[in-house]
Amino acid sequence: MSENFELALQLLGIGMVTVFTILLLVILIGNTIIKFVNRFIPEAPKVVSSRGRSSGGISSGKMAAIVAAVQMATNGKGRVTSIEKE
Amino acid sequence: MEILRKLYEMTAFSNLLDNPAPLFMLAVGVLLLYLGIKKQYEPLLLVPIGFGVILANLPGAGMGIVPGDFIELGDNKYMNLFEIAHEYGIMNFLYYSLIKTGLLPPIIFMGVGALTDFGPMLRNLKLSLFGAAAQLGIFTILLIAIAVGFAPNEAGSLAIIGGADGPTAIYTTIILAPHLLGPIAIAAYSYMALVPVIIPLVVRMTCSSKELKINMKEQDKLYPSKNVIKNMKAVKIAFPIVLGIVIAFFVPTSVPLLGMLLFGNLVKEIGANTLRLTDAASGPIMNAATIFLGLTVGATMTSDVFLDLKTIGIIVGGFFAFAISVFGGIFLVKGYNMFAKKKINPLIGATGLSAVPMASRVANEIALKYDTKNHVLQYCMASNISGVIGSAVAAGVLISFLG
Repeated sequence: MSENFELALQLLGIGMVTVFTILLLVILIGNTIIKFVNRFIPEAPKVVSSRGRSSGGISSGKMAAIVAAVQMATNGKGRVTSIEKE
Repeated sequence: MEILRKLYEMTAFSNLLDNPAPLFMLAVGVLLLYLGIKKQYEPLLLVPIGFGVILANLPGAGMGIVPGDFIELGDNKYMNLFEIAHEYGIMNFLYYSLIKTGLLPPIIFMGVGALTDFGPMLRNLKLSLFGAAAQLGIFTILLIAIAVGFAPNEAGSLAIIGGADGPTAIYTTIILAPHLLGPIAIAAYSYMALVPVIIPLVVRMTCSSKELKINMKEQDKLYPSKNVIKNMKAVKIAFPIVLGIVIAFFVPTSVPLLGMLLFGNLVKEIGANTLRLTDAASGPIMNAATIFLGLTVGATMTSDVFLDLKTIGIIVGGFFAFAISVFGGIFLVKGYNMFAKKKINPLIGATGLSAVPMASRVANEIALKYDTKNHVLQYCMASNISGVIGSAVAAGVLISFLG
């Protein structure tokens, strides 16, 4: 019993340290990837073309929201070519 | 008279009179179906599990899962699948081919990965750390379970309920204590269904209204993040690849679960070119795996397995594992807030469990009760998703030491 209890105590220490270490690594890896991507491939492919009708009069925030919604709904297949106010 | 006797023996009534315990198990099965259908508690799993319990306990039907030593031939040799199907029926064939081999939990993790968006976590990477603190319940209950007399492997299986992740609990139990699979799976999924009860309960006991009013968006405005992501798509594609490789070096035993999770996520993030794989992983494959997992896990719950003192220990211990995990996340946030300028709402710590996205939704509702403008969902999702990684790593540690 005391041997098992000792094992459980060890696992409490080792387990929590391992989980914290791995999630710290997740943070480190995430930050490294973000820095790398920001430096070498900073721009996502353009999805809004200037062809076609004008999309003037729409704020950049709304435009981004529409583009994101179309991308989500079409799983990245769809492209926003123009946005028109009625 | 002889004919009547034979007719009586042909029916299931003779079995019931000899041993009425299956009647209790049939009631348990019906209760699980009620919770799944009427109360809508995790219906995708509780309905197949509940029906599996009923099938396994129908007297004379032979659908219950037999213990591992029934298929042992001696000298470390086992019956092949054809022999198992012939001797013990189709449910045992499914159990020994799909569950005992550990196949289905990683398949479900692949589907979970295909449905997971790491975006909220990548935008708030620091919050991932609270997903680690919320694994405290696992290792604390391991200690307590051993103290009250569980064998270490059984204690490990019981403790993993605190990770609030069904497939992880099942995978760990298959390896550590397969004889406890039924009660542990049911406890894990029942408590996941009770997240809307358990999280508010622990939060009420540990957090002040001032803490719960901490507005994360205002904190972001006061202390803006240094990391602006310029190309999220590229980051999301690179992340599962790099993370999978790195974690494999540190905790290789977590790879069957995490590797499949990250693969599922990768095919989702690639987008149109792998859309068919994403659809398959998150749709037909995951659904089929869920059906067979639920039915076969339910079928392990025969009366002689379930009607045992250990089952009560698992149900009580599972609750505390869950509650301590929620507390662990909250506790770390409180500690962090003592030293940091940028305060964090403790609800973000409470969602360090794996129960995605239910835990985050529940936390968001609590925050809105205290401040109608305080939407914390995206922040909670960061710790919630990291909790999935954390519990898989914790399972890997348990398997490495106790398996």
